[in-house]
Amino acid sequence: MKYESQRVAWYFFATCMLLFSLQIVYGFIMGFAHAGHDVLHEWIPFHTARATHTNLLVMWLLAGFMGAAYFIVPEEADRELYWPKLAYVQWAALVIVGVTAVIGFHFGWWEGRKFLEIPRPLDYLVVVDVLAFVINIGMTIWKGRRVTTTSSVLFFGLLMAAVLYLPGMIPTDNQTMDSYWRWWVVHLWVEGVWELIMGGILSYLLIKLTGMDREIVEKWLYVIVGLTFLSGILGTGHHYYFIGTPRYWLMIGGIFSALEPLAFLGMAMYAITIARRGGRQHPNRTALAWTVGCGVISFVGAGFLGFAHTIPQVNLYTHGTLVTAMHGHMAFWGAYAMLVLAIIAYATPALTGRRLHDRPAATFAFWTSNIGMIAMTLALAVAGVTQVVLERRVGMEFLDVQREIEMHFWGLIMAAALFTLGIGAYIWNFVQHGWPKGELEGGEGQPRQEIAKQPASDDAAAVPAE
Amino acid sequence: MLSKSAARAFFVGGTALCSLAFIGLTVDTIGRIPAQTHEENLTPAVIRGKNLWDESNCMGCHTLLGEGAYYAPELTRVYERRGPEFIAAMLRDPAAMYPGARRMEQYDFTDEEIADLVAFLAWVNEMDLNGFPAPPTLASAAAPSASSTSPVASGAGRPRVFEQMCVACHAIDGRGGSVGPALDGVADRVEPDFFERWLRDPAAVRPGTAMPRLPLSDAQLAELVAFLSQQHTEGAE
Repeated sequence: MKYESQRVAWYFFATCMLLFSLQIVYGFIMGFAHAGHDVLHEWIPFHTARATHTNLLVMWLLAGFMGAAYFIVPEEADRELYWPKLAYVQWAALVIVGVTAVIGFHFGWWEGRKFLEIPRPLDYLVVVDVLAFVINIGMTIWKGRRVTTTSSVLFFGLLMAAVLYLPGMIPTDNQTMDSYWRWWVVHLWVEGVWELIMGGILSYLLIKLTGMDREIVEKWLYVIVGLTFLSGILGTGHHYYFIGTPRYWLMIGGIFSALEPLAFLGMAMYAITIARRGGRQHPNRTALAWTVGCGVISFVGAGFLGFAHTIPQVNLYTHGTLVTAMHGHMAFWGAYAMLVLAIIAYATPALTGRRLHDRPAATFAFWTSNIGMIAMTLALAVAGVTQVVLERRVGMEFLDVQREIEMHFWGLIMAAALFTLGIGAYIWNFVQHGWPKGELEGGEGQPRQEIAKQPASDDAAAVPAE
Repeated sequence: MLSKSAARAFFVGGTALCSLAFIGLTVDTIGRIPAQTHEENLTPAVIRGKNLWDESNCMGCHTLLGEGAYYAPELTRVYERRGPEFIAAMLRDPAAMYPGARRMEQYDFTDEEIADLVAFLAWVNEMDLNGFPAPPTLASAAAPSASSTSPVASGAGRPRVFEQMCVACHAIDGRGGSVGPALDGVADRVEPDFFERWLRDPAAVRPGTAMPRLPLSDAQLAELVAFLSQQHTEGAE
């Protein structure tokens, strides 16, 4: 850590840990309900648990992105945040809006639109809050000593994420139009601009962790985010197959969705190649594991499973079944949850000044949570495919099919228990690091926050690739 | 070897091109949606129904147009599948319709609100969805009963109300729900006048039964009684 104002990132990361824990609790409520034990029905009916589970995910990922930006951008721009105090106010506002929304869900204060359940008055507060964040980051880059590709890509991603929140607020009475605009937000976020944020954060982590030449890392960053948009924008079409939109979307969505794995494959190869070729052995191996893992699991979850599910002929039968939940879990985990956990694993030792990243708990967290998530995905896959065959192909009644697949949800619950164990270890490691009281390392021209043995800053220590 | 500026040009150019194409297609789609979704039938009742759909977060358990959660049935074609009476009865008292099964929230809708929701589902039912939901292509293979090969048993001879309401819980010829007993040969097992008494008020015949009192008109009742009275097993005929 080089700048005082980077400390604010820790508060965002701590918020992530808290919201993530809560998200898992609500996941268990839904898992047990699916397994036939909807014991909390009177207090937390399924749709409340569902809205809370997905919105907590969105909130903690956004908090993670914001924390990451507050940590990364000062170093990339070589200056303090433009308005350090505004960052703390913006953090507090985010927490207040988030907590209000989650409590509101338990009293039926919501919009009932998947992933965008937050009620309208809070939507406006979200927009104001995100604007404050984006302007602060933008000013920091603008007034900084240097403008790097990494920080520009990150900023452009964050800005577009804020702008693309707006189509979800267009009023309409037609359910089809409602869905149409909702996917402008949800799809263009997760398979569009969030991947810019992902690319920016990954590129920062790879430069720092491997010492690879910045020029090379950033050149390939352009190629990957280029591929993302080339496939992802028109790939939105895979949400427009069967909702009352023209038939041509079947072809457009099918073709461009088939290209989407390329972007994720690029992301995975980018992370693996750079990690192997980079010369520097940064001691924080845990952060590197999360970084490379993010590239690999996002390819499997978002790229491969997404591809299998969005072929129009397949989607005709899998649309609106648990197959979507199967793909969704691993995609969000690989692409975004692991990304945020990677930057937290990297930043926490620097922020707190306590280097506990090599503790057994940190390694245990990485492997256990990943094995747990893969097992969860498999359980949902079996449940989903069985549902598709029995309900969509054979024509059995919905509830009869659900009884048939109840046992797979016990499998899901066991896998989720393993996952929770891993995340518990991660959070324990985070808590052990303590408060963000790390000392600022080095002054101008001095070694940066890297370990003292490192000869110099990231660019000077760069190892050419060829 | 690719230079950084070429990589940047690829990113900026590709993104601009795809964004423009996407915006163009969006404009075209918005022009076509009114016809494809029969927007002319968006009555005030349908719009009130849509608002209720959102406020109640129905998507938190059900899917509509295949979108939502996967805890409760797909409702895109529910109007055709179950009919307005069944939907209204379900919304009035979900626990009574599927006793002991997965629970739906008791909403306490007014009669007018229920009518609005039914109107909304009727409107959705008419949309052109490019072939979704697909008919279950393996359905005939999975009903091995010999009688299911005859045209009558494939549903053609059954009253519409039977296909909409009764099969939600009861199976016949190996198809239908498993909440209540299968109805094959049911006429052999009960007195001839049983069906009418039973359908008018199940609880009066057997106190504590899980069978709900269905909202049937006299014509529908007569149709069902006639149909059920013919359900003899083949050997007994």
